[in-house]
Amino acid sequence: MYALKNKVQLIGNIGNAPEIKEVTGGKKVANFSLATNEVWKDANGEKQTETQWHRLVAWGKLAELVEKYTTKGSEIMIEGKLINRSYVDKNNETKYITEIEVRELLLMGSAQKSA
Amino acid sequence: MNNLNNKVQLIGRIGTDIEVRKFDSGNMKASFRMATSETYKDAQGNKQEETQWHNIIAWGKLAEILEKYTQKGAEIMIEGKLTYRSWEPKEGEKKYITEIETRDLRLMGGAPKTQNESQSVVNEAIADDGLPF
Repeated sequence: MYALKNKVQLIGNIGNAPEIKEVTGGKKVANFSLATNEVWKDANGEKQTETQWHRLVAWGKLAELVEKYTTKGSEIMIEGKLINRSYVDKNNETKYITEIEVRELLLMGSAQKSA
Repeated sequence: MNNLNNKVQLIGRIGTDIEVRKFDSGNMKASFRMATSETYKDAQGNKQEETQWHNIIAWGKLAEILEKYTQKGAEIMIEGKLTYRSWEPKEGEKKYITEIETRDLRLMGGAPKTQNESQSVVNEAIADDGLPF
């Protein structure tokens, strides 16, 4: 039911080598970025590309899959939920960040080849 | 194809007034915040609620529909894309904002009621606990 209320689907390329951390209890968490491209033709017929960079987080089994089968540049498809959270940094300023928590992961064409 | 690459679907309530800007070109932009909530039972069996707040924008016809048929408290469903932008304020550090640009919109449950009726329901809800949900 919650998958309907807050649902994000992205297809793109991983922008950095996924950072894997182990939290207490041995559970893994993977943090990485994903670039999605939107392509269109402008009024002069020239191809234009707009890239959006997303911050992704994956837990547990999904983090292990990310660690094992993906690298910088891998093409993946994910489904997840949007999380907006804030934290206080060293300078005592409140920072807001948006993350997508991965619920499902699919390795696409080029990713499977390199793996 | 572009729609598959970057797609967000949210169902929730509008949590702020809808801010509408009209441009000289005739285009219109609506922006507001929307809450999605998830309830679950914790280890002790107590009901917990987690709310996420999202920044939403809509252009043109969609902005018109939002201005005309929705208000704070209304339940809506949207489909759109995730966008990120930043700006430099006169003072202080660079600011970053994440927004969802609406591509499709659906008014849910309470929405089809007449404007006055639903407005009074919303006002009552707001008077109760400050927030309409």
